[in-house]
Parts: sequence; C-alpha cells; structure tokens
Amino acid sequence: MIRTEEMLLNVGPQHPSTHGVFRLVVKMDGERIIEATPVVGYLHRGTEKIAEDLLYTQIIPYTDRMDYLSAMTNNYVYCHAVETLMGLEVPEKAEFLRVISMELNRIASHLVWWGTNLLDLGAFTPFLYAFREREMILNFLNELSGSRLNYSYMRIGGVKWDAPPGWIEKVQDFIPYMRKQLAGYHDFVTGNEIFLNRVQGIGKYTAEDAFNFSLSGANLRCTGASYDVRKDDPYSIYNRFEFKIPVGENGDAFDRYMVRMKEIEESINIIEQACEQFPKEGSILGKVPKVIKPPAGETFVRIESPRGEIGCYIKSEGKTKPYRVKFRRPSFHNLQILPKLLVGESMSNLVAILGGIDIVLGEVDG
Amino acid sequence: MMNEIMTSQPSWLNVLKFTGLGVALILVVILFVTYAILAERKVMAFMQMRPGPNRIGGKLGILQTLADVLKLLLKENITPKSADKLLFLVAPVIAFAPAFMVMAVIPFSENVTFANLNVGVLYYVGISGLSIIGIVAAGWASNNKYSLLGGMRAAAQMISYEIPLVLSLLGVILLTGSMNLNDIIKAQDNVWYIFTQPIAFVIFFIAAIAELNRGPFDLVEAESELVGGFSTEYTGFRWAIFMLAEYFYLFAMSSLITVLFLGGWQPVMFLGFIPGSVWFALKFLFVVFLFLWIRFTFPRIRADQLMELGWKVLLPLALANVFITAIIKEIFFR
Amino acid sequence: MLGLAKGLKYTLKNFTKEIVTYDYPEKSVPLPDRFRGIQKFYPERCIVCNQCANICPTQCIHLTGKKDPDPSKKGKVIESYNINFELCILCDFCTEVCPTEAVVMTNNFENSAYTRDDLYKDLTWLDNNNENIREENKG
Repeated sequence: MIRTEEMLLNVGPQHPSTHGVFRLVVKMDGERIIEATPVVGYLHRGTEKIAEDLLYTQIIPYTDRMDYLSAMTNNYVYCHAVETLMGLEVPEKAEFLRVISMELNRIASHLVWWGTNLLDLGAFTPFLYAFREREMILNFLNELSGSRLNYSYMRIGGVKWDAPPGWIEKVQDFIPYMRKQLAGYHDFVTGNEIFLNRVQGIGKYTAEDAFNFSLSGANLRCTGASYDVRKDDPYSIYNRFEFKIPVGENGDAFDRYMVRMKEIEESINIIEQACEQFPKEGSILGKVPKVIKPPAGETFVRIESPRGEIGCYIKSEGKTKPYRVKFRRPSFHNLQILPKLLVGESMSNLVAILGGIDIVLGEVDG
Repeated sequence: MMNEIMTSQPSWLNVLKFTGLGVALILVVILFVTYAILAERKVMAFMQMRPGPNRIGGKLGILQTLADVLKLLLKENITPKSADKLLFLVAPVIAFAPAFMVMAVIPFSENVTFANLNVGVLYYVGISGLSIIGIVAAGWASNNKYSLLGGMRAAAQMISYEIPLVLSLLGVILLTGSMNLNDIIKAQDNVWYIFTQPIAFVIFFIAAIAELNRGPFDLVEAESELVGGFSTEYTGFRWAIFMLAEYFYLFAMSSLITVLFLGGWQPVMFLGFIPGSVWFALKFLFVVFLFLWIRFTFPRIRADQLMELGWKVLLPLALANVFITAIIKEIFFR
Repeated sequence: MLGLAKGLKYTLKNFTKEIVTYDYPEKSVPLPDRFRGIQKFYPERCIVCNQCANICPTQCIHLTGKKDPDPSKKGKVIESYNINFELCILCDFCTEVCPTEAVVMTNNFENSAYTRDDLYKDLTWLDNNNENIREENKG
C-alpha cells in the first residue's frame, strides 16, 4: 500500500502572495491542502487602544493606517460616528467632497486589488496598467488632501480643504478615460481563457455560508445576496445618486472578480453624478465647537468600504477622549471563511482564493 | 569544416579545435543570453509603459546584465544546513550541461553546423529532457518544502508536455523523410512547415514554452505560489547557472523552432541576396519576441490544468496531425 | 483562444505607447501645493501657545519658550523647537491649529538618513528649511 506523508507548510509571513505579513500554516498531502490555519497579528498596532488616549481629532490619522488602501472610507466612518454622537450637521458641499473622494478611493483600492490578484495568478503586466490609472487617482486625492495614501482629509463636521480650482473638471475628464481603460481591462484579462480557468469555480460558497461567516462587500455579493450599506442603510448623500449594486451568481472567485469590476463602473457613475451636482458655494466645515466633547453615550455607525462593511463604535463618557473606540474591520471578518475554502484545494488555488478575498493586513490586524 | 574534423584521425590538434569551437559557441550564446535578459526586461518594460533598466550603460541599460552577473558572482554561496550537499552542488551542472549540448546540432546558416547528425531532432529532444533531472535534484537537495513542490511539479510537467512535443515533430519528420535538421531546412525550400504543418507548430510552440519553464507555464518557479520553486535556496553563482541554463534553452528552442517551422536560413522568396545567417537571426529574434510577448501577457496556468492540456488536448491533436499528415503524404506525394 | 488573442493585442498596442512613469531621481515628481512635507518653522512668528505640541497625535513636537528679552513686550518667545521625524506622520494638524502660521508645511519629502539622530530636526534646521514652502495653509 502506497502511503503519502503529510507535510506542514508555512505560507508567510514573508510569502510574496500573502499581501503583507499574513501567515498561513497549511497541512498538505502532496499539493492538496488538508487543513489551513491562518495566523494573524503580525501587523497589530493596537489602534483601538491607542485611540483611548487621544483627543477625538487626533484619532483621524490613525484611522488612515488601518485599511491603507482606502483611507478615505476609514476617515469617514470615524468622523461619521463622532458626528452622530454629537448630532453635528455636515454642510452639503463637504458631503459632496466626501462622496467624490471616497468613490475615487474605492476605484483606486479596487485597482490595487485587480493588479495584485492577477500578480498572484502569475500575470505581471496588469499590475502596472492598474497602477497607471491608480496614479491618476492618487494625484487627484493628493491635490485635494495633500497626501497620496494617508489622506487624513476629513474632519469632524466636514472636510479639511475645499476642492482646488479646476479639480472637479479634472475629475470629470478622468471619467470617460477610466471607462475606456476599464473596457481595455476586460479585453485584456476578463476574456482570457487561462484566467477564467484559474478562477471559475474556485473558492465557492453559498449566500448562507457568507452570512454565517459574516462576510460583507464583494465577498458577500458574489453569492447573489444584494447587500450594500450604501443602498440598504444610506449614509452621507448616497440616496441622491442612482447606482446599481452588482451581484454575482455562483459565489466563486470569478464572480468576486466581476462584482469588483462592476463596482468600479458604479463608482464612476456616482462620481459623474456627484460632479454634475457639485454645489459651487457653501462652507466645508459645519458648526463645530472648538473643543470636541461628545455627550456621554455610545454609537455605532457602518458604511461600505471597498472591502465590505466597516463599522465604528464609540463610547463616550463626555470627556475630550473617547472611553472606547472599536472598528468592525471587514478584512478581518472576511478572512474567517478562508480555512473552510482552502480544504482540498491546491497550492495554486490557495493564492487565487486568498487574492480573491482581498484583504489588507493593516485592517486585519488592526 | 566540421565534417572534416569529425572524420579525420584523432589528434591533439583536433581536441584543441573542438575546444576552441566550443568556447566560441558558448561565447556567442552567452552574449545572446546577456542581451536576451536585457531585451526581456526592456520588452516587458515597454509593454508596461515604463523605461526598464536605464541606469547602467546609458538610457538603454547596455551594461545592466553584466552588473547583475557581477553582483551574483560576488554574492555568498549559501548551502542550507540540512541540504544534500553533493546533490545541491551538482544539480545546477546537471541542469546546465544539456542546455549547451543541444546547441551542437542546430544549423545556424548554410555552413555553420557543429554536428550534422542524422538523428538531429531525436538528439535534441532526448538531451533536452535530461535537464529536468537537474531541476528535480535541486528541488530535492535543497531540503525546502517549496523547492520540493517545485521539483515535483517539474517532473509532472515534463511528462505531460514532452510527449506532444515529440509527436508534433513527427509530422515534420514525415514530410521531410529525415531527422537531419539540415535536410529539414532544405525541404522547406518553397514552403515553410509553419504553413503545411500549422497544428504541429502550435502544439510544438505550446510544449516548447512548457519545456522552457516560462510564463504562462512557469509552474516550477511560480514565484507567487512557491516563492521560487526549485531555486528558492540557491544563491549567487549557482542560481546564476540555473538562469543561464534557462536562457540557453531559450536560445536553443528558438533556434529549433526557426529550423523546423520557419525554414531556418532559407530567405523569404526573392530576397535571396541577404545572407542566410541574417535570415536565421531575424526569424530567431521573432520567435524570441513571441516567447517574451506571451510571457508578459498571460497569467500562470495551474499545474493540473497544464497536465490536462497536455494529455487531453495536445496529445490527441498531435496524434491526429500525424495520421492526417501520413494519409495526405501517402495519397498525394507518393 | 479569442480571449488570449485579445490579450496579446492589448499588450502589443501598449508596446509602442509612451512611457508613463516618473523619471524620479533625475526629475522631481510634480507635487500639488497642498502636499504635506517636512515642516518649516518661523521662530519670530511663534507665540509659544503649545497648541501644535498638544494636537500632535504622535507627540513628536517638543518646544520650550522663554520670556521675551524685550521688557516692553508681554508674552513669550520660542527657545527650542524640535520635531522628531522618526515619529512625525505629516498629518498637518500642527499647521492647522497654529494661530500665527509659525509652523507650515513644505513640499519636501525626502527624509531618509543614515542615523536616527539626523531625523531629530531642531529649530535651526526647521528655520532653514526654506524651499517649496506651501502657499495656502488654512483650509
């Protein structure tokens, strides 16, 4: 009787395809995975604990560094939570700037995902095409906020800067360009038979599984469940825009890919509408007291980040510093399903599945 | 000239001549490798809209590869503590030696052939299969799980592509009636085999990419999955030898494709005044460009899918091609 | 096979297109005016109000003041002002709270050094950091 020996393979924390310092202890029989145990925490910085010792304003730069690919949404969820707690009104113009910057950031984040996912699958070139477009978005956000990645753009009650002169027009010019490039991406990758063979039917799960593992974002929508906080629990001014929630059917890696690609399209639509309706006049910061001191109480708000539902819980005791800040970090929750998906798959599928889940380690480890 | 030496009495002078010719060839090929690596990086860069190596040797980065080789030579040679020391040392040599041996049969122009073997095609295919042993040995000797997986993949991959590769050649051999590469070129006087044997060409080309371990069939290295596969533990010059072997094969395989399907040094129609070696070089460079182009465009194929492709698609196609060629030859060209 | 051919066409089309990358060390990357770079400090404007040190999320600013040497004037003048760039995350809060725009951002971002001590910028260094000073400092 021929018997094979199981071996323990340590994937990461310095593996090229773990998108940071993620570690996966895999028990393998040949190339078949029997058991996979994710080990997280290599990038833990204790954001939530540090936040307890900071003024409410000071926490904003720390939220940038959680999901560093979409700092805008992190900024927003935190500011939104404090505003809810204090009952602050945010001026219309500030909300428009927030929505445009968040959606631009969503496109940038999905582009990074697109590039790195294909890099995992062994295609190097798409990565650089994605970064070409991302560079333009980063330049927009740089012009707006003064930074390319850790924007710290939003303030409690508004935003830091008004749009510079001509900025909205530049973003409007970018919209048709991005649509053209997106069509090119589909030509280049989506129809590619090798790519389709790599992702179709890989890492399949049902909507029920997705809910049980509390997945959100594209990881949930790929199963056909239409759930997007922007539509189901509208925040900011999202109810003013027309956009669709793309959903998949089969819940495999290909559907996750298609959902994200369509989300880029929808984000472009939102930006287009927001730029058209952009108010010329108005202030960018609401009536905010000099010292931010929310009344005692607690609140939880949630918004849709590129990776899923990001939530922020704040408990205040009426002081200048919060008693407790907690973030529901979507990457961390999305990662939970990974051990289940990996059983029985090969090493090649491991990177395809992990890449398809789209994790950012800064967010997973908090 | 080669035939003269081969048929003459053995003498020390002949040994010297052989060595000299061998060194000359290896220098030519190393020159090619130096610039193939640069070309690869430049082609990749241009396809990705970036300038590529442009620091050492002016804007074109002429000296980039030399600098890289120098760096590799200066690096420490690390042998893992629990590695199989002897095998670890020998594996690069086993992988490299066949890569150079196969060059002997390739006719670079009308006059430049190092060994005019009657079984040139068979020699090439047989010898080139040997370097897989080096890769498997490297994967085993490194005592690294990623290397081992890479080595195992290499073995599995080799079995599945080598058979369609050989079978696709049968079509060409049937039409020529000879396994001598010079005869095959002469038989393409009027029509290249790419036109009479298109299926064979496609199969051979796909199998050739797999044989070269280049994208989209670079499963053996698969840096995003296996970190570097068989070469994970190799450093410095030993690693460079593996790379050298890979690019030697690129040279040899592109030459072979030029010879078998693109008419070797045969000129295009009425452009006969251009010497054969130039024609060879042009066709050869086109084939190399095809390899690079494909590498930078496609994602990596999965190991089981490659085997599926080899056994379920390429093998039946190659067999059908052989049958059809045989029938056509029997009926029309008797 | 059609998808593969389309992909090949796409890369070939880009083969001849213009290079889009920055020629970075030779040419500087174009940066907008708002870019947040290493701070410039004007000692004569500072009123030693300590707001920048208080708002700093990473506590990287340390400053001390002394009594104004001119006895006719009230208030303090700055004595030492240090920013530790091992910690500074260039979040822009110090310039935002500064009532006299004594500390402002520049567009300089090259901050690598061989030793940690080099990252500890003192008043003189920050005062001499005169290039590419940001024009608009309040949102």
